[in-house]
Amino acid sequence: MTPSPFASPERFPEAAAPLEEACAPLPRDIGAALAFALSRRPVADARPVLLALTRAWLGEYGRPFASGLAGPPPILVGATTPAEVLWALEQGLRSGAVSLAVGAVGDATLAQSRRLEFAARHGGAVGVTLSRGLEGLSAARRRWRVSTLTSAGDRDDARAPGLARLGVELVRGRGERPGTWILEQDDETHRLRLADRLAGVRPAAIAGTGARAGLAA
Amino acid sequence: MSVRRRSLERAHAPASPPEPALDPRQPFALTLKNGRGAVVLHALNPAARAAGLRRGQGQADALAMLPHLACQPADPAADDRALEALAIWAERWSPSVSLDPSPNGLEGLFLDVTGAGHLFGGERALLAQIRERLAEAGIAARAAAAPTPGGAWALARWSDPDGPAPVVGQERLRERLAELPLAALRLDAAALAQARRFGLKRIGDLYAMPRAGLARRFRGTGGVELVRRLDQALGYEGEALTPVRSPPRYRAWQAFAEPLGDLAGVEARLPELVDDLAAALERDGQGARSLTLTGFRTDGGTTSLAIRTGRPGREPSVWLRLFREAGLGRLELGFGIDALMLAAELVEPVLARQTALHDEAARQAEGLAALVDRLSARLGEDRVLAPEQVDSWIPERAERWRPALAGSPAPLEGDPGRRPILLFDPPEPVDAIAELPDGAPARFTWRRLSRRVIRADGPERLSPEWWRPAGDRRTVRTRDYYRVEDEAGGRYWLFREGLYGREYGGGEGERAPSWWMHGVLP
Repeated sequence: MTPSPFASPERFPEAAAPLEEACAPLPRDIGAALAFALSRRPVADARPVLLALTRAWLGEYGRPFASGLAGPPPILVGATTPAEVLWALEQGLRSGAVSLAVGAVGDATLAQSRRLEFAARHGGAVGVTLSRGLEGLSAARRRWRVSTLTSAGDRDDARAPGLARLGVELVRGRGERPGTWILEQDDETHRLRLADRLAGVRPAAIAGTGARAGLAA
Repeated sequence: MSVRRRSLERAHAPASPPEPALDPRQPFALTLKNGRGAVVLHALNPAARAAGLRRGQGQADALAMLPHLACQPADPAADDRALEALAIWAERWSPSVSLDPSPNGLEGLFLDVTGAGHLFGGERALLAQIRERLAEAGIAARAAAAPTPGGAWALARWSDPDGPAPVVGQERLRERLAELPLAALRLDAAALAQARRFGLKRIGDLYAMPRAGLARRFRGTGGVELVRRLDQALGYEGEALTPVRSPPRYRAWQAFAEPLGDLAGVEARLPELVDDLAAALERDGQGARSLTLTGFRTDGGTTSLAIRTGRPGREPSVWLRLFREAGLGRLELGFGIDALMLAAELVEPVLARQTALHDEAARQAEGLAALVDRLSARLGEDRVLAPEQVDSWIPERAERWRPALAGSPAPLEGDPGRRPILLFDPPEPVDAIAELPDGAPARFTWRRLSRRVIRADGPERLSPEWWRPAGDRRTVRTRDYYRVEDEAGGRYWLFREGLYGREYGGGEGERAPSWWMHGVLP
């Protein structure tokens, strides 16, 4: 893929680490963060997906709509507390029965996220935690900030919204340089891939994603 | 066998401190409004009965006879609940316990102890144990064993309460019943009054009567009923009893000489029970999908804990883990339990899956089922969910989350590009401005934020399911769905409910079409 002027020169890490964190700074980014988290499932892994969310989360941001999710239908855990989400995530990751476990853990401590990472390694699975901010410490190998971007527009109808487009910023990666990438939903596989049609993206739209750091790099 | 309860549960309920009802020498009665609105006596203590009061008597009448009679309103629903709880407790003696189904009879239990007597050292010993245990739990009871429910009902009520509980075999049943009054046949008041007029007093008086004549003479007051009750008592006609809980096919059982007072004791006994049950299932090639652990408390109550699994199994270690996951601490031991029962309610044959184990997909399915079992045991079945598509085209109805225990999730027919990733159910109201009445919105306010629409796609029209009326009885209208994108990059799924022109003419009392936020697209 040709490097685009807005993207970081670093290669986008397609393969997910055992534990990653997807942070949605604003409420409108939640859908993008969830889509990004689900896209961290290894393509060849046929095991199902576990989603663990609190009732408060479900009430605030809506319930997952399986018809709109790419990939196999998930198992949804409707927990009452973040502690239950952590427990469900750990059980799921450790069991080896799921390929990916995504959970809204709230403010998990370093020790809690480390437990999740151990469980994910044990079960050969990928864990992604959803958060609202990146202030606290975390054992997540990669910490992403995800934001939704205006789409490039529909190929056939300029007035219609195009494929989902989001900006992801690797804020902290162990042994990796931070970078910014723009991902777009593939219209056939519905997986997220690096956007190659960047003509429609205005720099102002991605400024909020921290893409300036990428520009300067 | 019938156990008659004479205790007045309500009398023991804590009330104001000077409680005349607690003193058995004080006459006390529970009252109830009868069908005609009059307040009548519903239950009496021995002192009130000795004073000549009877059940069904008007309260005013009773107070005239006995001015110091203490009365409290009865609570039949609470009585039913208490009796049902007692019935479950009585499952320690028989897997099939039913409530007395006769009208006015909600104070007795039938235990089918066919073939169970020898477990307790004979039927006499069993009856003695029943009376002893109930007395320890503070429940005055009478018991009798007979070949028919009707016979046991009669003998329990008309035998000497202080003597040994009667045990009557088929050969002496007819003779023993003959000397009892007609009321022992579970008849209604009208039939009894009619019988008194004919001079029939004892059950034995009926033996010589021609049956057709009996039925005819008691016509209008339940003549057929009289003959049927007689036949049921004597065993000429069968009587179906409905157990409070259907008897489980497999159960393991342990009774303790000393009541267990703490969870550690229960936890120590559990592995043995689990092994027993697993062995019984193994013998028959069966596996359990739901198990209930019941503790029988010394105070006449029961406490139970249930687990369910997605597929039939009989692995003791898995069950033990699920019980711990579900929380043995939820068992309320009270003053101690003296018996534990583990019953398998839902039993299915286990197919030998030895060959399938090599299959990667099958192994994964096993792993997922085990995970779902564990999550469900700890968090609750209704909290671990899998999506399911339903025959409906209203989005919030077309897909629902059902307990994952019911089966592994089936692949869905989705449309990820055009359907939201998160759905608001119910949809949230939105203030929207459209350039054309039936066009896409140009601007909308949702959750107090005003957003300018830069791109929109639609409408995708969903017709109302007219055969399903809305809950609030308003007419269901067409929905026009739009995928819109605002200037900040948010993508949303909005719809307008109602069509201009066809469904809304601008008339008085009509609802104008309104905008709703239904979901977020990635």
